[in-house]
Parts: sequence; C-alpha cells; structure tokens
Amino acid sequence: MNKALRNPMTYILFVIPGMLLLFMFFVYPLISSLYYGFTNWNGISDHVKLVGFRNFSKALSDPAFWSSVKNNGYFILFSVFIQVPITIVASLMIANVKKLQGLYKTAIFMPTVMSTAVIGILWGFIYNYDVGLLNKIIVFFGGQPVDWLGSPKTAMLSILITNCWQWAGFYIVMILAAILTIPKELDEAAMIDGATGLQRVRRITMPLIMPVISVVIMLSIAGSMKAADIIIVMTKGGPASSTDVMATYMIKYAITNFKYGYGNALSFIIFIFTMVVTVLYQVLIAKRAERIDY
Amino acid sequence: MKKNVLVLMSLMLISSIAVAGCGSKTDNGSSASGETSDSTQGKPFEITFRHALIGERRQGTLDLTMEAVKKMESEVPGLKVKMDGVDGEVNRKDKIRGEMASGNVPEIFDAFGSPDVKTFAKEGKVLDITPILEELGIKDKFLNLDAWSVDGKVYGLPMSASAEGVFYNKEYFASKGFEVPKTYDELLALMDKIKADGKIPFSSASKSAWVPLMLTNQIWSRLAGPEVTAKFSTGEAKWTDPAVTEAFKIHQDWVNKGYFKKGELGLEYVDYNTQFINGDSAMMFDGSWAASLFQEGGAGVSLAGKIGFFNFPPMPGGVGDQTSIMQDMNNGYAFSAEVAKNPQKLAAVKSFIKNFYTEDMQMRFLVERGSLPCMKLDEAKVKEQVKDPMMQEIMMMLLHSESSYAAFDALVPADVTTEIGNQIQKIISNITTPEEATAAIQKVQDEANADAE
Repeated sequence: MNKALRNPMTYILFVIPGMLLLFMFFVYPLISSLYYGFTNWNGISDHVKLVGFRNFSKALSDPAFWSSVKNNGYFILFSVFIQVPITIVASLMIANVKKLQGLYKTAIFMPTVMSTAVIGILWGFIYNYDVGLLNKIIVFFGGQPVDWLGSPKTAMLSILITNCWQWAGFYIVMILAAILTIPKELDEAAMIDGATGLQRVRRITMPLIMPVISVVIMLSIAGSMKAADIIIVMTKGGPASSTDVMATYMIKYAITNFKYGYGNALSFIIFIFTMVVTVLYQVLIAKRAERIDY
Repeated sequence: MKKNVLVLMSLMLISSIAVAGCGSKTDNGSSASGETSDSTQGKPFEITFRHALIGERRQGTLDLTMEAVKKMESEVPGLKVKMDGVDGEVNRKDKIRGEMASGNVPEIFDAFGSPDVKTFAKEGKVLDITPILEELGIKDKFLNLDAWSVDGKVYGLPMSASAEGVFYNKEYFASKGFEVPKTYDELLALMDKIKADGKIPFSSASKSAWVPLMLTNQIWSRLAGPEVTAKFSTGEAKWTDPAVTEAFKIHQDWVNKGYFKKGELGLEYVDYNTQFINGDSAMMFDGSWAASLFQEGGAGVSLAGKIGFFNFPPMPGGVGDQTSIMQDMNNGYAFSAEVAKNPQKLAAVKSFIKNFYTEDMQMRFLVERGSLPCMKLDEAKVKEQVKDPMMQEIMMMLLHSESSYAAFDALVPADVTTEIGNQIQKIISNITTPEEATAAIQKVQDEANADAE
C-alpha cells in the first residue's frame, strides 16, 4: 500500500501503548504477586524477607487448603453435571413454548441481574432453620427440619443450589439464543420426514448448539474456580470451614491473619490451578466441539 | 504524507498516556511540598477522622464523639476535620491495612490495640503518643493500656471498656421463681429448668465464631485460671492442657443437652440479641456493649429496666480467681505516624486526646451510652449518676471482681484466632472431639510461636 505500513517502526509505535497497558495491569501485578509469594511480607512492613518455597509448601501440605480445593471441585462437578443439563432442558422447553416466551425468558434471567449479596440473603431466609420456606415444606410433608446452612453436611450443597439458581438464567439465555438462530427449515424438513420431537432435539438441535454449550461449560468452570462472593455472604466459609473454597481460604487464612506473603502464594496457586483446568478442558473437550456451518 | 499522519497519531497516543502519568505525579509533588512548608499557624489544613460509628445503633456514640471533634476544631486554628465512617470489620480487616501498606493512613483512625496496632507500631506506622499523654498528665488515668503498649510506649487509646457476663430476663426469672445462680451446679440446674419450661437457656448464633467463643473463653478462664490465655503465646501453657480441653468439652455438652438454639451455626450475631429480646432465650452471654440495646433507640428498649446482669458463677475445681471477668479495652483510636512531621496536625491530635479523654466524657459515655469507662472514675460519682439498674449491676460486678483478663483474640496471634474459630464450629457441629480440637489449635499456636522467635 505505502511505505508507512511497511516500516516496522510504525507497528512498534502502535503496539507500544497496548503493551504498556498490558504490562502495567496484567503482567506486573502477576509478577509482583509471584514475588511476594516467596516472601514473609505481612502486608505493612517495609522489610520483606525471602523465604523460598515455604509459603507454597505450607499451602500444599495444609489439609484445610485441600478441603477448599475439593469444594472448588464440587462447584465444577455441580456446574457441569447438574447445572448445565438443567439449563439445556430449560432452554429447549422455553424455545418450544408458543405463548409468553418473553415472560419466561425475563423471569429466568432475573436472578442473574440481582447482586450476589441480595441472593445470598434471600436464600438465607429460604434455608432458615425455623422459619425458612424449605423447612416449612419439609415439615408440612411430615419430615424433620434440616439445618441447611448450619450443618457442615448440607451447607456446601445449599450454596451450590443457590449458585446454580443464580447463574442458570444467564446460561439459558445464551443457549436459547443459539437454539433460536437455528434455521426453521431444518426442523421443518425433519418433521416432514417424520422425525419425533426427541429425535429432532438429538439429531438437529443438540449438535447445532454444541459450540455454545461448550462455551457455557467453559464459563461455568472458570466461574467455579473463582467463586467466593456467594460463600462469603451465605456462610463466611463456615461452619467449621466446610464451605471454604480456595478464594475464601485465601482471605480467611492469609489476609485476616496478616500474612500477605502467604496470600500471594495462594493466589498464584489458584491462578495455576485455574489455568490447568481451563487448558485441560480446551484441549480435551472443547476442541472436539466442531464448528458448525449451515 | 500518510506516514506522517500515522507517526503523529501514534505519538499522540503515547504522549497522552505519558502526560496522564506525569500529570498525577506533579499533582502529588505539589501537595506533598505544600504540606511540609505549611508549618505556619492558622493555615487551613484538613485531617481525616476514620470512625466505625455508623448505623442507627451507634448514632448516639457518634454524637458524643462529635462534641470532642467540634472542640478540637475550635481549638486548633485552620483545622477542618473530615469525618470518614467505615464499617468496623471492613476498616479493620481491609481498609486500614491497605492504607498502612500504601502509607496513606488517616490521621485519626478506629483501631484494635492488640494485635493490630502493636503490629503497626513495630513497623513504625503509628504515632507514639506517650509524650502527649505525659504532657496532658493523663497517662496514669487509664485503667489498663497493655493492649496499646509496646516496650512501655503507648500507641493508641481505647474508646471505652467492655466486660462480659450473663444478661438475664428479670421478669421471666421472677415469674418462674428462678434465682441468679451462685454456683456452677445452680447454673446447670437453672438451665435444665429453663429448658423444661420450653425456652432456650442461652442465646446462640455461631456463624461468626467469636460469638460462641465468648462463653468458651469464660469457661476455660474459670477452669484453667484467668492468666492462662496469656501463657499460650509464651509456651507456658498449652491448649491441650486438661483444664482447657475440659472447657471445650463443656461447650460441646451444653450443645448436646440442648442449652442452645438449634441451627445456631447459620445465625448471625443480630439473631443472638433478637432471641433474647423476643424472649426465646432466657439468658445471653454477651459483652457490656449489649447494654445499649436496652436503652433509648435500642432494639430491646421495651425491656428497659427488666434486664439483669450477673457474673459467670465459680466452677468447682477451677484454678485462680473465680470472680474474674473478661474485661477488654482493645477497641479505640490510633494515629498515623505521619502526624509527627506536621506541628499543626500534632496539635490537632493532642487537642482530640485532651477533649475526648476526660472524666466528664467518660461519665457521659457511661450514663448516656452504657459504655464502660476505660479511665479511672470517682466511685461515689458513678453511684450517684448511674441510674439504670442494669448498668449499676454491671458496674458493681466490675467493682466486686478481683481480677480481669483480656479476650483471647487480643492475646494470641491472628492465625490462632482463626483456628480456634474453626474448631469451635466443629465442636458445635459435633464433628470433632475436644481433644482433637485443642490439639489442632495447639499445632497452629506452636507454628506461630516458632515464627515469632
């Protein structure tokens, strides 16, 4: 075209501002967090002592940390194997509704718009031992009330259900959009050929929305890894640390305890874990979700 | 031509970023130099007063504090105080620490003496106010400044004191013919009677672990002696000592016997007070700060005059003074170390201390707000001015107990506090034994003790 675009200097000049911002807001914090992970910094002091891998080995040998990792695992399993199937079924149902589709869409999207704090408190009422809706129903049918958020056995499950409820609407809207963009002719042609509803879902709709489902799974895994707010609002990681995830473990054991060095080491471990999980997912599963061309 | 345009555009992009960066720099520079040259009297200046007195419940305390602030403003020429109210928990765990790290500490801030201010003091981030106290001649007027002192120097001052004991519903006790228990056995019998009557003996809400721990702390201090908690950090005593473990066992027994509300681990501290106010529970083990609930503007004002207060009874086989009470002077104000560099600000801080820490102020806090004094007050005056029978009972309890001890979280490192909280919730939910719980706490204590050396 012209000389200017062939001059490498031009490209460098264009790239520099972006690189600077990237370095300032992404690379530098990451490196400094990694650096402090190797120190005994208490968050205030001017003197910082390097302690090698002590923070990392301390975290990895702490059973409380591994129990928080396990809870992140529950989040992922619950999202992938319970939340995603529910959202797919719900999306298919809404897509085939003839009347009031807008109402369903809005109603199901509502929780996603509300803040996590509101949702946490709202569900806190539902789970309340004495006056909660859930126990009222259980007692009405002759059961024993369950201490949902107060018992280490049920607290994690209660949070998972709330979290699922909160985000389902967001994923449903995504999947629904994918379903509604499928050309009507495909479905009609199959119908003329005599395919049943279930067959059409299996052979036409599902394969065509697979890429979106893959994105939804990806998002819910990433969301599960960084879950913290809902837990802080609902149980503060308790009772007895039974609902701590990695992020709340970091807050509770590192920041509250004046151990920023340890906290930074933890945040780096969380970063690594999240990377590993998402890369594994991309390599093993997402790649197989084929690109669709109509 | 086009080349020039491209280069120009990129240059503009870069320079705009650079200019933005420089802009803020020069800004900082000018204000910093302004501060240091600004030592002449009367030049307008501002200090930030970070308080945690937000919400309706603390409005009265804020109003009283504002009186001292107004006096300070009128005394120091050019001073303008910027009041900055932040939620106590957010301020303590988050905001103030970030400010300590970045160096922008408010001149006056709400703080906890031990371990927070002591940690800040070791880093030279808070003002040593010993000379001010000596100049004002009030250093010996305080009941106890241990929580605020490092190596004999004082780094902050408490707002008020608090003591922990049992609040009970007098009207209910009278209607059933119950009496204040004088011994531990009487307390146990009383709890059984209350339970049989269909009420919960003690309020409970253990979502935040400090709430149930007030009671456990009291029991282990009865059984192993009031001095025991201070000895954990020196290694002289261990959490695994039988008497301490026994306290955790008692707490678990009480849970299993149904002396607390079911589902307590899901409940917030507000529920603790609510259970007592609405009559679900007959007793509440709480700090004297809860007295304000039963005063004008409090949630339990309908119970005003019907609430009594007694000291936890002596326990059989207990070590040491069995009338000892948890008395805490840990929450108060500290000052930025930067204040020392600016004579005007130093004068403002001095004026605040002079006007806030007076016998008159302490008395008004006691009478109007129900907060216990942290300074020595004339006994006769206290008896004359305190009309509320519950406050009289609290003050009498303080006068009649021979010793006091600080709350455990002021005496052990923060990570041990976290672990105790974790373990007490396990105890309450019956997923651990008292022996395992104290062993786990001792392990963290050992690590912390080794780190401290």
